Amino acid sequence: MKRKGKGRMLLIVLAVLVFLVVITLGGGLLYTAGEHREAKNLPIAIVDFKKLRDGTYIGEYEGGMYKWRANKVQVTVSSGRVTDIKQMNSTDPGGENTDQDSLYDRVIEAQSLQVDTISGATLTSKAYLKSVEDALLKAQAE
Amino acid sequence: MGRLRDAKSTNHGMNTVMTHRAFGRYAEEALKAVGSEAVRLEELLSRFIIGSEVNRVNSSAGIKCEIVSGDTYEVLSRSAEYSRYSQGLFDVTVGPLVTLWGEGKETQKAPEESRIRQVLSLVDYNDLILDPGKKTAGLRRKGQSIDLGGIGKGFAADKFLHVFKEYGIPSAFTNIGGNVVALGTKPDGSPWRVGIQHPRRENALIGLVSVVDKAVVTSGDYQRYFFGSNGKRYHHILDPTTGYPVNAGLVSVTAVAANSMAADALSTILFVAGLDKGLKFLKRFPGVEAIFVDTSLKVHITDGLQECFRAAEDISFTIINK
Repeated sequence: MKRKGKGRMLLIVLAVLVFLVVITLGGGLLYTAGEHREAKNLPIAIVDFKKLRDGTYIGEYEGGMYKWRANKVQVTVSSGRVTDIKQMNSTDPGGENTDQDSLYDRVIEAQSLQVDTISGATLTSKAYLKSVEDALLKAQAE
Repeated sequence: MGRLRDAKSTNHGMNTVMTHRAFGRYAEEALKAVGSEAVRLEELLSRFIIGSEVNRVNSSAGIKCEIVSGDTYEVLSRSAEYSRYSQGLFDVTVGPLVTLWGEGKETQKAPEESRIRQVLSLVDYNDLILDPGKKTAGLRRKGQSIDLGGIGKGFAADKFLHVFKEYGIPSAFTNIGGNVVALGTKPDGSPWRVGIQHPRRENALIGLVSVVDKAVVTSGDYQRYFFGSNGKRYHHILDPTTGYPVNAGLVSVTAVAANSMAADALSTILFVAGLDKGLKFLKRFPGVEAIFVDTSLKVHITDGLQECFRAAEDISFTIINK
């Protein structure tokens, strides 16, 4: 029962993560000059979390026009729930400063501060989410 | 509050993503109008849109002055003021330098020093000629160009507030790629809570400011950058006096001001100036407060923010007297 609870927590956390970035960070994302046209093509799709098939999926994001933000993650789904997300590699030049393992914690931190909007937010978190999304779409049943 | 509608929108433009939220009877209509206003302003002010007023002024550099609209004239004259105030730490004619570094970004190489020097000679706000009577703008020398990157979003946000007010919106915010302006309070009477992006940790905040009728604009070295083949990181805020990305001991500056154009310009100016010199500049702008994050990630807030700043859990900060 505990495992199940944990899985649900992760699911909620991931949902919060996607929502938070799409809704809260959405407007705070700054696009690098020349890459801004891509912004229009970089929505985070809505993943139906009820339809995830068990397995391990690799999600990739090619990293934009200059491939700076290429991201690869491994998402594990068991019993229909996301149980693990591992970052496999990242060419994001700011990557050395970003401990993605604690991304959840930071999303929760932002949540606990309950902000309405963010001053100075950037694009890169979205690149990470793109690869998570890619993996989740693969995990999503037809 | 029953009659207040809550509307949100997101649109792309000005090289970024914008989100807006408005409460009011005509909230949806207001957001629609804000979307059109964004397009209208970009078509006036973007130097990349052929035929825009700023593009025309740039194309006619060294040849003639161009007649411009009231809005364009206002941005240019205010930009010229900030250029003078800051003695060129902010320079509205930085266009050629921005273009040169933009090429550097594509090749992942810093431009040659000789090229930087050559281009730098074209950056001089004193060469922007404005005629308030004829409403014309021009640049003295061929090759010079205006770039409103450090101020245009601030101007746009002020214009959006104007639109909100026209639609009788008592409560709203607009966020143009991280440049935030809050109108009024939230419908429950509490201030808007504006998070300040952590400059080194994605998805983390250094804290938040609670504001009413204020702009909160952050300039940071983390927002746009590239790595050279030498492994050196080059960020997008260029020092118009050296020609290179700013290296003044700060990684992020947030300006909090009543006017969003002022907040936009000042966040850039303070970033370029550095902490000590920046504080001296701030003295000339009563009512403008700032949050500085230095290269060792120490957070410094000016005393006027004491009441409204709340640090994130693991962030400590010092208060400095303006």
